[in-house]
Amino acid sequence: MNLSLFRSALLPLLALVCAWSTPALHAGVADQVVRARVAGVDVVAYKTPVRDVVTFTGSLPAGDSFSPDSNLVIATLVGGMLDQGTTTRDKFAIAQALDAVGAELAFSVDETMVSFSGKCLRKDIPLVVGLLAEQLRSPAFSEVEFAKLKKQIAGRLQRALEQTGYRANLSFAATVFPPGHPNHEPSTEAFLAALKTATLDDLRAFHAKFYGPAALTLVAVGDIDPDALQAEVAKAFSGWSGGVPRPDYPRTAPLTDLDRDQTVFMSDKPNVSVILGQASGLRHSDPDALPLRVATAILGSGFTGRLMATVRDQEGLTYGIGARTGNDTFADGDWRISANFAPDLLEKGLASTRRELMSWYDQGVTAAEVERTKTNLAGSFQVGLATTNGLASTILATLHRGYPLSWIDEYPQKLNALTVEQVNTAIKRHLNPDTFVLIKAGTVPTVAK
Amino acid sequence: MNPRLLLFLALPLSTASLQADSAPPVTAAAPAVAEGYTHVKTVGGIAEYTLDANGLQVLLLPDHSAPVVTFMVTYHVGSRNEVTGTTGATHLLEHLMFKGTEQFNRTRGNSIDQLLERVGARYNATTWLDRTNYFANLGKDHLEAYIAVESDRMRNLWLREDDRRPEMTVVRNEFEIGENNPIQALDKEINAAAFIAHPYHHPTIGWRSDIEKVSIEKLREFYDTFYWPDNATATVIGDIDATAALALVKKYYGAIPRSPHPIPQVYTEEPVQSGPRRVTVKREGRLGVVGIAFKTPAATHPDMAALQVLGSILTSGKNSRLYRALTDKNLTTSASADIGFFRDPSLTTFYASLAPDAKHDEVERLTLAELTRVKQDGVTDTEVASAISQLLASSAYARDGAFAIASNLNECIASGDWTLYVTLDEAIAKVTASDVKRVASEYLDEDRSTTGWFIPLNAPESAAPAISR
Repeated sequence: MNLSLFRSALLPLLALVCAWSTPALHAGVADQVVRARVAGVDVVAYKTPVRDVVTFTGSLPAGDSFSPDSNLVIATLVGGMLDQGTTTRDKFAIAQALDAVGAELAFSVDETMVSFSGKCLRKDIPLVVGLLAEQLRSPAFSEVEFAKLKKQIAGRLQRALEQTGYRANLSFAATVFPPGHPNHEPSTEAFLAALKTATLDDLRAFHAKFYGPAALTLVAVGDIDPDALQAEVAKAFSGWSGGVPRPDYPRTAPLTDLDRDQTVFMSDKPNVSVILGQASGLRHSDPDALPLRVATAILGSGFTGRLMATVRDQEGLTYGIGARTGNDTFADGDWRISANFAPDLLEKGLASTRRELMSWYDQGVTAAEVERTKTNLAGSFQVGLATTNGLASTILATLHRGYPLSWIDEYPQKLNALTVEQVNTAIKRHLNPDTFVLIKAGTVPTVAK
Repeated sequence: MNPRLLLFLALPLSTASLQADSAPPVTAAAPAVAEGYTHVKTVGGIAEYTLDANGLQVLLLPDHSAPVVTFMVTYHVGSRNEVTGTTGATHLLEHLMFKGTEQFNRTRGNSIDQLLERVGARYNATTWLDRTNYFANLGKDHLEAYIAVESDRMRNLWLREDDRRPEMTVVRNEFEIGENNPIQALDKEINAAAFIAHPYHHPTIGWRSDIEKVSIEKLREFYDTFYWPDNATATVIGDIDATAALALVKKYYGAIPRSPHPIPQVYTEEPVQSGPRRVTVKREGRLGVVGIAFKTPAATHPDMAALQVLGSILTSGKNSRLYRALTDKNLTTSASADIGFFRDPSLTTFYASLAPDAKHDEVERLTLAELTRVKQDGVTDTEVASAISQLLASSAYARDGAFAIASNLNECIASGDWTLYVTLDEAIAKVTASDVKRVASEYLDEDRSTTGWFIPLNAPESAAPAISR
């Protein structure tokens, strides 16, 4: 395995910041987008100077929250069957068609959406759009592939369960969100039981009910001719109907009866993954969400965030620590600090983390910190949108969050308009460290196995 | 998956090069005229210069597709330059490079972190076997400020015991996070067994005792030995014209003297391996892993292109040989190939992550059978054409922005020949089925292999997480 050591794994944190950033210097993104409904599909095209390469992404609402009450894994299985063959060609033929031109097309399922993403060269757009339509519209649902997929998913789950970070995330989501909430994670036993009992008839029924163009979005960025793209979509998706609108999840009341200090004991894990946080009750588009994100960045984003500057740089207690809001695109999300500690530094690390958290919470942030963070976020807009990937994912996320595309261009102004009072008010209004849940996953000392 | 993993999976080198017919907009067809520089060559739109004053190598690739620039400095020092007692020193020094200088530091409010985060830059540093690099992707208006700080720390770094102590525990935690991962733990053991003389034997992060005990004096010695302009490459990619970029680099690096001593070269060669080697790692876990590594040549070797195609045919996508033989039969959750792309001969390793109930010996036997089939019967023209298409398209995708270009170019710089960024694709395009069969026969030699098994202890009956409160 070729491994390169980073000074820090903070890039993902910075990328998170970028994900909700938009470009200061790409003024007029909304004006340059060519958007049309074609064969029922919301097609969003954005041409950039990059030569030959096209990045595409998109989604439709058929994620896990749409699974029937009788079986929670149906949406995942349907999404997994999309690249296991169609009614006209098997999975090897699909792979060969893509491989022959070096194109990429992949599907994934989250709590709300089934998503797709890929890349191709400009000349191969007709092939890829055609395959995308074929795979979404007419999966084969073969018995043989279904049996294999079930085993693959069970195997991948076992592999994930070896990771302290995955286990901490799983426990956190299972604790702070109630059953029925889209961000709630079911138990592993329930997931595996559902996997066993799922049938192909369940999958076919789900596909018939939820797959269709009603809320299907396709975003393409790069070396594209928007008119030609629309023509290909019209041809490939012609005659398809159905689908459902994006869900409008009800707000949930915060849970009160929680186990607030949990240990997931795992042997032979010399690093402990820690999550400390709560359900935020906020969606990305709520008025207080932006000030809380700025406040959170001051606490836990980048090397100069308070947590990294103290717990790592001054005290040397961790390789990585940060804070973020998240899982708030369609439903109310969460707020968390994530960190890594050696078992023998765990208690000290937690004490330092709580000290910084409480200082931030009790005393708030300063006007200078807010101004600096605004500049940081405005700059990361520019950098984050310098690639076709960055543009495509930001455009899709903007639409998912229910914003008009003009939000991308207006974002710097919204950011600049924030005051330190708004930022500090958002902290107090939505967070309560006394009710935070603490998850520790790894070889945690002094815990009975 | 925890998004805060400490180790970064390096970009496959198959994505490292630039296809001449689909390069980003380039304005460097003719070399820029710049006093104080010698133009060395221009390949694939990338121009190489030498700063006459001190021997700094400078690479330029103007790309005006977005108003951003990536500036990167690659030092030609990595864990390959370490010996017993100093393993991990290159990487620890990389961390200490952010602690400041007299001119730029946190107290003054102008440290590199403060500067770059204020402007929203994407920045970091990485260490690997052959090199250490420092980079930032940022708005073009901030380039000069970054070069000023980056150049200052080349020779003026604070190296203080008060900084080493807390940073050592930071790095030790990075080491611990790596140890959490069964495949990374196995990979260390395979490399340590495969190389008995060459420094690729030890992991870049170092052995735990060396991380803990290396002194600040040793780190200072490392810095004073390797951090000089004539042991570095500065790369500028993005929305800036060549003349302006060269002027900026000269303004800030031009006054730094050349190294007062010759840069030490690694002369240790790995003895020829004459029989298969095996290692086993037993730890708590759920699923097993089989890794089979073979000695393969340096990145600059002419066979590298055919090895890339071979790796793709064996493991890339649903039509690959190992997917069909293993994953599609529910024996593995994944199978991958890691084609070593380094300055010295290294390893090509095939990893098979076992599915529940799969047996190590069966997966190893089937993997070797597939390799033998390629050696004996070769591959089809269709497979070769498909692999070439995938590799060349990946190359085009990896030119999506200055940052991505810099990341891949960096590995070619480290290999000792940056032009591989351009020429490797040209070579891949010419690979034939007979080339693939030949390199498979030559390098997939069991007598020059090291096989590793990760054996999970106490694998649970069910996947239920054990939660205690």
